[in-house]
Amino acid sequence: MRLTRRTRLAGIALVAAGSLTLAACGGGDGGGDSANNVITSNSIEPQNPLVPSNTNEVGGGNIIDLIFAGLVSYTTDGETEMEVAESIESEDNVTWTVKLKDGWTFSDGSPVTANSFVDAWNYGANPENAQLGAYFYYPIEGTTADGTIESGDTISGLNVVDDLTFTIKLKNAEADFPGRLGYSAYFPLPEVAFEDMEAFGEKPISNGPYTLETWEHDVEAVLVPNEDYDGNRKAQNDGITYKFYQDPDAAYTDVQSGNLDVLDQVPPSALTTYENDDSVQAFSEPGSVNSTITIPSSLPHFGEDEEGKLRRQALSMAIDREEITSKIFDDSRSPSTDFSSPLMPGYTEDVEGNEVLEFDADKAKDLWAQADAISPFEGTFELSYNADGAGNKEWVEAVVNQWRTNLEIEAEPKAFPTFAELRELVTNRTIGTAFRTGWQPDYPSIYNYLGPVFGTGAGSNDGDYSNPEFDELLVKASSAQNDEERYQALADAQAILMEDLPAIPLWNTNISAAAAEGVNNVEFNWQNKPELQRVTK
Amino acid sequence: MPDMTPLPGQTIYVAPAADTPLEETGTVDTSAPPEGQWKEAWKQLRSNWIFWVSAVLLVFIFIVVLFPGLFTDINPRQAQLSRSLEGPSAGHWFGFDRQGYDVFSRVIYGARASVTVGILTMLFVTFVGLLTGAIAGFYGKWTDTIISRIADVFFAIPLILGAIVLLSSLNNVWSNRGYWGGVLAVVLVLAVFGWPQMTRIARGAVLEIKSLEFIDAARAIGATRRSNLWRHVIPNSLAPVIVTATVSLGVYIVAEATLSFLGIGLPPSVVSWGNDIAAAQSQVRSGSNLHVLFFPAGALAITVLSFMLLGDAVRDALDPKAKKS
Amino acid sequence: MWWYVGKRLLQAIPVVLGATLLIYAMVFLQPGDPILALFGEKPVSESVKAQLEAQYNLDQPFIVQWLLFLGGALTGDFGLSYSGQPVADLIGRAFPVTLKLALMALVIEAVLGIIAGFYAGLRRGKLFDSTMLVVSLLVIAVPIFVLGFMLQLVFGVQLQWAPATVGGDASITRLILPATVLGLVSFAYVLRLTRTSVVENLTADHVRTARAKGLSESEVNRRHVLRNSLIPVVTFLGADLGTLMAGAIVTEGIFNIPGIGNLAYQAVLRGEGPTVVSVVTVMVLVYVVMSLLVDLLYAALDPRIRYA
Repeated sequence: MRLTRRTRLAGIALVAAGSLTLAACGGGDGGGDSANNVITSNSIEPQNPLVPSNTNEVGGGNIIDLIFAGLVSYTTDGETEMEVAESIESEDNVTWTVKLKDGWTFSDGSPVTANSFVDAWNYGANPENAQLGAYFYYPIEGTTADGTIESGDTISGLNVVDDLTFTIKLKNAEADFPGRLGYSAYFPLPEVAFEDMEAFGEKPISNGPYTLETWEHDVEAVLVPNEDYDGNRKAQNDGITYKFYQDPDAAYTDVQSGNLDVLDQVPPSALTTYENDDSVQAFSEPGSVNSTITIPSSLPHFGEDEEGKLRRQALSMAIDREEITSKIFDDSRSPSTDFSSPLMPGYTEDVEGNEVLEFDADKAKDLWAQADAISPFEGTFELSYNADGAGNKEWVEAVVNQWRTNLEIEAEPKAFPTFAELRELVTNRTIGTAFRTGWQPDYPSIYNYLGPVFGTGAGSNDGDYSNPEFDELLVKASSAQNDEERYQALADAQAILMEDLPAIPLWNTNISAAAAEGVNNVEFNWQNKPELQRVTK
Repeated sequence: MPDMTPLPGQTIYVAPAADTPLEETGTVDTSAPPEGQWKEAWKQLRSNWIFWVSAVLLVFIFIVVLFPGLFTDINPRQAQLSRSLEGPSAGHWFGFDRQGYDVFSRVIYGARASVTVGILTMLFVTFVGLLTGAIAGFYGKWTDTIISRIADVFFAIPLILGAIVLLSSLNNVWSNRGYWGGVLAVVLVLAVFGWPQMTRIARGAVLEIKSLEFIDAARAIGATRRSNLWRHVIPNSLAPVIVTATVSLGVYIVAEATLSFLGIGLPPSVVSWGNDIAAAQSQVRSGSNLHVLFFPAGALAITVLSFMLLGDAVRDALDPKAKKS
Repeated sequence: MWWYVGKRLLQAIPVVLGATLLIYAMVFLQPGDPILALFGEKPVSESVKAQLEAQYNLDQPFIVQWLLFLGGALTGDFGLSYSGQPVADLIGRAFPVTLKLALMALVIEAVLGIIAGFYAGLRRGKLFDSTMLVVSLLVIAVPIFVLGFMLQLVFGVQLQWAPATVGGDASITRLILPATVLGLVSFAYVLRLTRTSVVENLTADHVRTARAKGLSESEVNRRHVLRNSLIPVVTFLGADLGTLMAGAIVTEGIFNIPGIGNLAYQAVLRGEGPTVVSVVTVMVLVYVVMSLLVDLLYAALDPRIRYA
């Protein structure tokens, strides 16, 4: 008996010693090693296989954007630059001719041709392949309103002219169409991908600034520079390792202790202190993601009539955005002045009617009283949110408190445990309350904040807003011949929204980021993401 | 010497019931000890200062739970965002939290939801767990197998996971729960996944007691199986059950906080210590304005302490073997 | 005894079936459309959605979904997660990490809890006993998401005694801090249970007999009091391994541990039936094995209990 016990203990000691040595080895390459210029950054485990047309969330998107190159790429400021495309031209904004640069290859050596794009898009639009990004093909002729085609079919609006040329025919004129083509759904795929998409999704063969070396699930993805890449975003470092975190607090802790180089979002718990923290470099800049409250036009008392408009304006003006962004968010949000973001080309602070976004308790109360004169409001006004999204509860509670105090009405937050639950009720139109919404642009354009969200019958028009005048201005913006004309049309369209308030803009999420000591060239782009290919240490 | 002539209608002499000492003993043995035990226990309790400390604290807590208005005039849901995170001051002894609520008022009004969640869950779990555990341990065989396996089904489903799924499934049938509905939903969820633990504890204790001599003795002198279970086995198995119950009461109050932290506990409109501690968590890193964490957590700690001390005292009093010498 | 073990393992079958059915039913009843959520706030292609629903059998009635899952599970196929990975692979990666974490927590809480509880029981009412009462009280009264976070800040970031996060390197040194945090609440239970049992056993007949036989005080305490006091503690510890593994959700989040708690939590949030049920199945098996071990240990610790 005694003997067995001793041997067992000895065994445990051995195991423990083994792990210690392993840990010692592992500790070295965690970060902070400046001889090796590999940058670590935070991300989350991709939720889908790494196929560009199936990637619509941040975990997969981070990797896809660095390992693929599309027809165009975006500069840090959101300007569109040709990347794989030599030119994308159109006479009428309907039929576009795309010419590719010669000499681009995938990491397996196969050339990037017109077919690499057309086949990839056909694959993405085929519902049999169940690609989450299918919606993005909807502007192209031959697809349904939700962007798909008949299975086995091809998109009729796409025509391959030769190896380096193809044409895209759209359903309607769209002046800023080339600007969309940097979105991941429009990336090319090599021929080998179609043989076994499942295997491809685990280890994609790509044409971007980096290639995926390893993807250790739930732990990290290791990206190494692609030597053959000669585009706009050439790697300035020896590779990027995305470490996956479930909790941004843990990631921040790693930046503090030098185990993580770049963190793109500082957790709420560190917002008050990170700018004075000696162990990190702090970044705070305006960002592109916005938060809004959507009030469905089907809610009683909130229709698209005089009463509804008055109530929406009252609710908007009863919110003290300055105070909430400062007290609840520690200035990590900036009060909205329009429906888009200051980062977007053509942004203006002076959208007509945007004083409705300024706090004025007296005016708000007066507007509410006017609405009550039309038809008195009784009961509780509820604002729904999903509790699995960090920080939602805090601001929803604060907004509701301000409504209670400033409008003297009954108002309550309404929590749904999961995003899935909230989303289903919103999509089925059965939610029966106001709810939180937000928008992260797919490509850098004010249009992207308006068309898909407020256009009549548009895919993300959760509040069923419809205003022909607004739709007309959207068309005008799409077919505008120059930027100035387009920006004016978009500003006019926003002026209509300010009056109707189908959604109440609240604030834009600032870039609140941190980097470890000794990390250089950290810059953030229009997507609020660090331009990791330029970061060095 | 009694007269032993057979009575009319009898062939041999049978003593009248009143004269049978054996039966007399049996009757005494099945009724007297429990009565004596509780009486004895109360005597013990009265002389234990720990009991009085915890009792006074608990009475105070119950007054706060029932009549929060006695202690503050401030509406716990009246937010002054401009005073967000202000420290303690005159009139606002505990300062303000991030939303600009008065922390003192929140602590007072929060007692109701938190203590209710703790007590109701504890009662439910103890009742079901003790009953099922005692029956399983006492009768053994198939009864034990069936009860233990059913308990396993619930116990094997992790509490937090089960709670998330069950709470959101509840939304399907019971979406506008209001204050008491919200509290009951949390109690229900905690209890549904919590009772098997008590079953196991009770079963273990009963198994132990069952094998002790005095149970055999009680059977030998004619106690039925059922009365044996109720009069001897359960009372004597109570000690570990009471200890677990009083400790777990605190755990349930804290579990409510964890559920709130994960965003699925009490609705945000319900003022509770759990909601407030969850909201205060982000203050830990900066280390500033810790009053928003300290006061609700302190109230919770004092409540848990009171129940634990009471449990200790009651256990000491109930256990005939652990008399203070 | 082998007959007993076999019988218990057979009994595990209805438990696994019952637990999977129960959790499947709850996931099914959960409001919210998991496929819809996959699209985020982006527009939804109806035909793509229909295709995905068919792929995951979500268009089938609930009982069919469950039977399909069971059928697959019997052949070792636990289905695919919504991210297209075999659930078996996900569990295969996460399970060892969490098991290691939970075992470490169990060892920590058992060793500390039994030692502290034993001495608190022997010195009932003395300073040590009261101190332990306060310590266990604090551990119980401060939620794990606050306590864990504090310990991480103090020992991981400021003092740097132990690594602050775990990530991909789940070695014993990296897991020490999270395992301690995870074991804290149960430590309080173990401590209280041990103390109570010790107090009870100190006056038990067989202990008096042992004293009367002239055994030394420490020998009586060790051989008679401690051994007999362990029965409820062992029950608790046995059942606790499963609880620790499943309860690691918050701890795994704080210390960034890619374990089974987070796998299950994320899957619940996403409404991923197959993943949730597979995790629960594994947890049920852990639980069944542990409770069997506990019952066998009973017999070893208490000579009066025999299993046939």
